[in-house]
Order: sequence, then C-alpha cells, then structure tokens
Amino acid sequence: MSELLNKLGIDYKLLIAQIINFLVLLFVLWKFAYGPILAILEKRQKKIEKGLADAEAAEKRLEESEKKQKEVLRKARTEAKEIVEKAYVQAEKTKSEIAEEAKAQAEKIIQSAKKEIETEKEKTIAEIKSEIGGLVVAATEKIVDEKIDGKKDKELIEKSLK
Amino acid sequence: MNISIAAEPIFHIGSFPVTNTILVTLVLSLIIIAASYILKNKISLVPRGFQNIVESVLEALLNLVDSVTQDHRQSKKFFPLVATIFIFVILTNWVEVVPGLGTIGIREELHGKEVLVPFIRSGAADLNLTLALAIVSVMAAQILGIAAIGFGKYAQKFFVSPLHKPYFVGTFVGILEIISEVAKLISFSFRLFGNIFAGEVLLTVMLFLVPYFVPLPFLFLELFVGFVQALVFAMLTLVFLKMAATEAAH
Repeated sequence: MSELLNKLGIDYKLLIAQIINFLVLLFVLWKFAYGPILAILEKRQKKIEKGLADAEAAEKRLEESEKKQKEVLRKARTEAKEIVEKAYVQAEKTKSEIAEEAKAQAEKIIQSAKKEIETEKEKTIAEIKSEIGGLVVAATEKIVDEKIDGKKDKELIEKSLK
Repeated sequence: MNISIAAEPIFHIGSFPVTNTILVTLVLSLIIIAASYILKNKISLVPRGFQNIVESVLEALLNLVDSVTQDHRQSKKFFPLVATIFIFVILTNWVEVVPGLGTIGIREELHGKEVLVPFIRSGAADLNLTLALAIVSVMAAQILGIAAIGFGKYAQKFFVSPLHKPYFVGTFVGILEIISEVAKLISFSFRLFGNIFAGEVLLTVMLFLVPYFVPLPFLFLELFVGFVQALVFAMLTLVFLKMAATEAAH
C-alpha cells in the first residue's frame, strides 16, 4: 500500500500542505470575494428592481395625468361650446325682442299721432263752425242791414245751417 | 524527456519536499488572494473592469448552484466551497498551457540518469493536490450531514446493527455506504489527475515532436479540458453536498 502511494507520488506531508493551502484560499476568498461581491450583487439587484418599479409607477402616473388633462380639455371645450350657443340664442332672442318693442313703440306713436290729428281736426272744425256762424251773422247783417230781433235771427241762422 | 507520475521535488526544507506542483499552487494561491484583496478594496456598486469579470463568473456559478439546490439560502451556504473549487481548479488546470511547462527546469541526477526537473507543473497533475481537494469535498459533505442531524444519527447511516429489521442486509448496505465514500475520494482525485496529467504529457510530447503550430489546437483543447474538469469537480461536490443535506432531512 505504501509502495503504491509512493509510486503515485502521494506524500502525506504534501497532502496536508495542499489541504491547508486550499482551506486558506477558501477562507480568504470567502472573506474578500464572495461576501462583498454577493452582497453588492444583491444590493444592485434590489436597486435595479426598485428603479424599474419606480419607472413603471412614474409612467403610470404620467399616463393618468395625461388622461385627466385630456378629460379637462374636453370638458372645457364642450362648456365653451355650450356657452357660445347660449349666447347666440340669447342674442337672437334679444334681437327679436328689441325689434318687436320698436315696432310696438312705433305703432303707439302712430296711434297717438292719429288721435291727436283727429282731435285737432274736430277742434278746428268746431272752431270753423262757430266762426262761420259769426261770419254769416255779420254778413247777413250787412246784407239785411238791419237786425231782426234776436230771436228771429237765431232761428234763421240755425235754419240756414241745417 | 522524462515523464514521472509523481511531482518532482525541486528542493527540500528539512524533510519536507518542495515539489514543483506545490510551488505552482502556492504562487497561484498568492495571486488569487492578492487579486481578491485588491478587488475587495475597489469594490463599488457600479462595476468596472476586473470587478465585472469576477461578478459575471460568480453570478453564473451562483445561478448554477441555485439550479441544483432550488433553494437560495442553501445555495449561499454551499457557494463558497463550490466556487473556490471551481476557480482554484480551473486556474491550476490552465497553468499547464503556460509556456515553459516541462521545459524550464534544473537538471538533476536521478537513479543514475540526468533528467530535467521542470519548475512549472500544473497543480492538478499531482495526486496530492487532487486528493487533497477530494478529501476537502467529501469531508464537507460529511460535516454537513452531521451538522444537519447530529453525529449519532449520521453514523447510523454507515454502522447498522445486524440485530434489527433488515438485519444483515442493513449492515451490508452500511458497509457499501462507507465504500462509496472512499470511492468518491478515489474517483474525484483520479479523474482530475488523469485528465490534467494526460493533457500535460500530451502537450510536452507534442512540443518535443513538432515544436511549431501543431501544439496550438492541443493548447485550446487543454484549455477546454481544464474548464470541463473544474466544472465537473465543482458540480460533483455540489451534488454530494446537496445529497448529504437532503438525505439528512429524510
């Protein structure tokens, strides 16, 4: 057995040296490389995951706000349209009202003018009538040259005027 | 040209033979330690240069471990050993393509013949290293099993009393379990050793026969073999660890 080991070059001193060497290497790598590297890998992974989640959330928020904005714009536009329409209708209404009023006013003015003319005419006619009576009396007096008594005179006048 | 299965000692410290493989292994370990130390001081959340390479390798390994264990906490427990085995083995394997392998060395009298003792010899081309790794790997699995269910219960896997239910069958199975653990050691160490040693011999012979261009494809082949062997060693260790952990749970 020992000859076989010897032939294969196995030497317990070398074997132990190699085992210790490997264990030291394992320990050092554990402390210096694996610990920090794995920790930093995990940290980075978390950071990237968080960054991605944040980006997604931000995108969502942006989309939402865009939607809201669009909604507001749409509302504003319809409102504006409504207001304009209302104003238009109102204007139309006001226009026709004014026209009607003006018409009524004009009618009224015409009516009153007509009435005035009528009364004026009547007044004038009455005046003329009385004037004519006087004139006729004077004229008749001149023609007859004498006054018949008052009673007869009046009777005569009235008779002639009929 | 001299091909020896055992690593050649370059000099002795007392009775301790300093072979070319242990020299290479030590230098390599120092380089890895230095690199990891530098990395540790320069580590940052935004990776740059060297950190990128290390990170991508470690992340790939971690994903591999994850895919086997299906349990991230367990992966983190197994990861250091598996990753160290992979990194260490792949780098020692790749030492064999370093120029000067098997050619630069000192001439020594050995058994009355003058032979060349090379300075550089891939660490895994020495059974001491592969056996050492195999022992660490198998021991880790045992320790994991013991830590999971306690020494007494774990020992029952190997030492079954012939007086209870499956009687001698149980005892026999226990003995088989012990043999399988030893077989793991042997298969681990000889697989890696055989592959890398053969690769080294192949490269040396090629270099002697046709020094220019022809060894190139073999160099690439050895790079690939080195990677595959490192992966196999690490994966088998991982699987044994996982098996020890799941068996203990049942």
